[in-house]
Amino acid sequence: MPDDIDIRSSQTRMEVAYGSGDGDENMVAIVAKKEASLGTIFDQSYKPWDGELGPRWMRNYSIYRHHVYGLFTSKGHRYYHPFVRLTILVIFLASLTPIPMLFLSSLLPGQDGDILSKMWGINRFNLWGQILGYFPRNLCMWPLLTALVVGGMISDDRRNGTSAIYFSRPINRFDYTAMKFLSVSVILGFVILFSYFAYYTSAIVFRGEGWAYLIDTLPLFIGGMISGIILIITYTSIGLALSSISQSRFFAAIGFLSVIYGTKIIALLIDLQFDTSIMYILSPYDCLAHLGQFLLGLELNYSHPLAFSIVSLISFNIISMGILISRISSMEVTRE
Amino acid sequence: MMDEKGLSLRETVWSQLDRKAGAIIELTIRQLRNRISTWVVLGVGFLLMILLLAFYVDSVREGFESIDNDGDSVDMDGDGYPLGQEIKYGHSDWDSNQFPGSSEFIQVSAIGYNDQVRAISGNYTWSGAGTLNPIWIDSNYVGQQWSGIINWFDVDNTSCPLGTVYEDWWPQYFGYGCHYENNEYFVYGKFTASGEIVVPDGSEMLWGYNTELFYVEPDPKSMYINEDDIDWNGILLQKSQGFDDDGDCLRYNWILDSEDGSFYYDNDGEPFDNDKNDNGIICDVLWLLDDDLDEIESIEPDSNVDEDPDDERYMGESSHRTFIIGVGKMAFVIMIGLFLPLFLALGLVRDETENGTLHYLLSKPIHRGEFILYRLLGYLAVTGSYVFMLSLFVGILTAILGPGEGIIRLSDIPVWLGIGFATFLVLAAYGALFNTLGLISPKYGVYISIVFGVWEFVMGILTIANPNWTLSAISINHWALQIIDSVVLLAWPDTLQLQQMASAFNLDTGLDIFWKPPAHTLGTANPTVAILVSIFVLSTFTILMLGIGQSVFKNREIM
Amino acid sequence: MSDLNKKAPSILLEGVSKWYGEVIGINDISLAIEGGVTGILGSNGAGKSTLFKLLMGRLKPSQGTIRLFGIDPWKSTAPYRRIGYVSESERMYDWMTSLDFISTLARLHGMSREEAIKRSKHVLDFVGLEDVHHKKIGKYSKGMRQRVKIAHALVHDPDLIILDEPLHGCDPIARTSIMNVVRELGSQGKTVLISSHILEEIERITEQIVILHNGKLLAIGNLHAIRDLLDQHPHRILIKCENPRDLAKLFITSGPIYGVRFPDVGQLEIQTNNLSAAHDIIPSTLVESGQKITSIENPDDNLDSLIGYLLGGINDG
Repeated sequence: MPDDIDIRSSQTRMEVAYGSGDGDENMVAIVAKKEASLGTIFDQSYKPWDGELGPRWMRNYSIYRHHVYGLFTSKGHRYYHPFVRLTILVIFLASLTPIPMLFLSSLLPGQDGDILSKMWGINRFNLWGQILGYFPRNLCMWPLLTALVVGGMISDDRRNGTSAIYFSRPINRFDYTAMKFLSVSVILGFVILFSYFAYYTSAIVFRGEGWAYLIDTLPLFIGGMISGIILIITYTSIGLALSSISQSRFFAAIGFLSVIYGTKIIALLIDLQFDTSIMYILSPYDCLAHLGQFLLGLELNYSHPLAFSIVSLISFNIISMGILISRISSMEVTRE
Repeated sequence: MMDEKGLSLRETVWSQLDRKAGAIIELTIRQLRNRISTWVVLGVGFLLMILLLAFYVDSVREGFESIDNDGDSVDMDGDGYPLGQEIKYGHSDWDSNQFPGSSEFIQVSAIGYNDQVRAISGNYTWSGAGTLNPIWIDSNYVGQQWSGIINWFDVDNTSCPLGTVYEDWWPQYFGYGCHYENNEYFVYGKFTASGEIVVPDGSEMLWGYNTELFYVEPDPKSMYINEDDIDWNGILLQKSQGFDDDGDCLRYNWILDSEDGSFYYDNDGEPFDNDKNDNGIICDVLWLLDDDLDEIESIEPDSNVDEDPDDERYMGESSHRTFIIGVGKMAFVIMIGLFLPLFLALGLVRDETENGTLHYLLSKPIHRGEFILYRLLGYLAVTGSYVFMLSLFVGILTAILGPGEGIIRLSDIPVWLGIGFATFLVLAAYGALFNTLGLISPKYGVYISIVFGVWEFVMGILTIANPNWTLSAISINHWALQIIDSVVLLAWPDTLQLQQMASAFNLDTGLDIFWKPPAHTLGTANPTVAILVSIFVLSTFTILMLGIGQSVFKNREIM
Repeated sequence: MSDLNKKAPSILLEGVSKWYGEVIGINDISLAIEGGVTGILGSNGAGKSTLFKLLMGRLKPSQGTIRLFGIDPWKSTAPYRRIGYVSESERMYDWMTSLDFISTLARLHGMSREEAIKRSKHVLDFVGLEDVHHKKIGKYSKGMRQRVKIAHALVHDPDLIILDEPLHGCDPIARTSIMNVVRELGSQGKTVLISSHILEEIERITEQIVILHNGKLLAIGNLHAIRDLLDQHPHRILIKCENPRDLAKLFITSGPIYGVRFPDVGQLEIQTNNLSAAHDIIPSTLVESGQKITSIENPDDNLDSLIGYLLGGINDG
């Protein structure tokens, strides 16, 4: 015990509460005893911490790590509900289903193998479908994944007041938002892009394709990858914006699903009924699919110009980011 | 008379129950009303309806554009004559040199592949291979078809290769020609000339003459739209109906592409099957009746008969119905029916437990089961009246704007009420389900609800696509969609007929996308049975969920 | 209301135990309470709230029987017609006015709307909130919220009122006003159960107490009677004076005092086996000494010491 701290009289409770490892971990908090009723005044001496502040990226990395590692282990990291983790695992495995098929196609001789590889092998349609296919990926998997991951991202902080943990530290709101954004996109990216990458590589490995094939298909692969990245960014920004609106994580999750499904079904209804595809610009999924068709060189099956979809995608992102930024900058550093 | 509590003795248990229900329902309504998210959700639903209505109003204002259902109003080759007119004159629409009034090749005779005499002289139009010793050549001959016409300018510039034709060399294409040193030509194609022609062995040469060109007034394209109306005199006993107004059924060498409905010309093609329905009468329509002879079971037209009816008459009505059915199914049952409960019903009891406000309510003499029921009723009061007003709003507007003789289409009102009712049942079923899930497992319930919502959404879409698919029956909105299908059939009994006409005559009404005959009629084909079955399923499910919820809640220890 | 047994005591617990998994909340408590204000004392985690939740049918007893007016509250909600309950929960419907809040809850007793509003105004008047009954609860102070909670429990004129820590977190003024309300209820002849972990508070309201400790019933009865039972146990009295040593000489000779101590400058601690006897002689002895006395304190007169004594140990503070 250092000599300069007199544990009996000059009680340094502040240090005990806020000290962070420059020798004061040995100290004991002094709790007011019965004598306190007779009148004891504690000396509230604040001992400033003069350690070296970690660099900004390191602080930010710890926020990022807190959210991403939580998926794998909840010990000391963000708590993801076991059900959420299970669902993410199921979605991840489901998105990998073409790989066993490719493997099968490499084992089967002759025509059977060819049919399988035509169905699951690399081509514009399959690469597009791996990311942007409507059923089941964009109907059941990606929106559900995003809804579950994004649900409590910011709303939990609002509800529990845990944002104070961040903002009472040398972390500004931009870092906070950016790291939340990065964490969500990395988790989504892990499922969506990793499965895409695994699919592409395994197609090449299992079929024993050469460099020429690789060079032929690489532009397609990159086109799909770009559309995947745009999908992740768009879904993340919409989801986080919804998450920042409410204190309830389920509002964000259900809100996200209703945005994705609602716009799609209304646009579909209008398309079927009035024979105009213009309302698809309201549906984030369809804008992404439209752009993805262009990036992968597929025939565009929307009758409105691609520029509309791109403008709409950009506006989705700008509006969502705007909501996110304004909500976070007005966030109180207390439990609301 | 008053007892010591100051309560009047004439008050029965029932009036007290009534008051408790009233209090909790009112509390729930006020609670929902006080949440911003409620208004956001309801407002978004309303905006969606406005959007749909905007499109509807727009399409009504434009009127129902007449569509060329059989595609014979186009002029593909740009000769100024639409396909329908070319069909009448027996021309293809691929060749701009072939049009009504264009000169036509009439064959006189030919030297075939195996004929003995292989030389002929005269002034004709020729088609085939041979060596020409010309007296006169019509270098401006354009013929009536685009292929194989010999370009004499090229021929003068082309020397024939050495050796014998068909032994040492072969002409490269139909329409090829070359000159020999001795002013003779080898020709393989079509041309008009006077002279002597020797046909090599194994080749063929036709000859004849071209008719004079004469002018035919091109028909306006509009003549070939709506030109083959559905001829049906409504007499159900007379099965064979229809008449091929535009005469395209009788053409033997026109083939209808069954996939995209376009025609193509096939000179050597099989004779056109103009008795597709195999009733021995060509170019008619078979209207098959059910056993009672009062309903049309199916319509089987021969190809190209009655295929281009007046769109205003058939499309207007079907589109209006399709709009109502589509909005009712997708916007009301699937969208509003699913998302309102997700937003509003999930926390009916669960939120109270979490907030700790449940203590106030449960320290009153009210049974917990009653409490759940009244909460749900309060939620239904809000959402039900919303759905009712929304459906009435859209319904009255479209009933005024829709096609028909009267000022307002009265037959729409029961359909909208049916849609509202189906949505209400769905709201009740989902509400009870989500509420119960929240009670059974406060932790997992919401996640299960979200996954369940995704399932319901997918099943709803599948039900619209095919209500007979068994798997889709394992969902709640399947049954509500059944109610809409059945109510439609009750309110507009001729929907089935419209739908059959649409599919029989290839009319693109969209009715068959959104509406299918109800599947769960227990074999009676009676829509009322389907409604009753669906109501039974939905209300049984709701009551079951309420029962499970209340028995779980009754034994729940509340900390 | 015919199903309620008018003869049965308001509260009857027989051998009631409640455990949460391995943790025991309430351990074999038998108790009957009828009439007057009863204070339930116990430190945090002693089982007060568990007891109340068992009484209110929130929890099911693991063992034993609970009867409110002769009816099992877990199975039937009928007793709640005659019970008002103030829970420890802080949350309320902040968007409602207090009048709305109370009249809505009143209607759950089967009152008509007009009657509910009339009675709600009456109870709001009783707890002193008649001026603010049109304001939203969210704008109320802590003490006002507590009084709204009490008002809601009184709106149906119950015979038994259960208050779970109603004084918790209130400022002294709110505290006094709530205590007055509770005393007033007691004087109206209602059965009132009030829990607290602060002895002083209960002492100002009632003398009839129940002490819980670690889920066990430690004592029941009149506070002073319990004290008297404890008088045989060693007891300390702290006197602050100018000259403790002189005062000590006077005390050491008198009967009930068996020891003295000088914990600090100007302080005298006397120890006694018989508190009431000691109380008899202390005033006269002090007058006799002629010293200027700053204060007399009874450091053992708090709940912890009381429980310590009841548990048979000596609280050496």
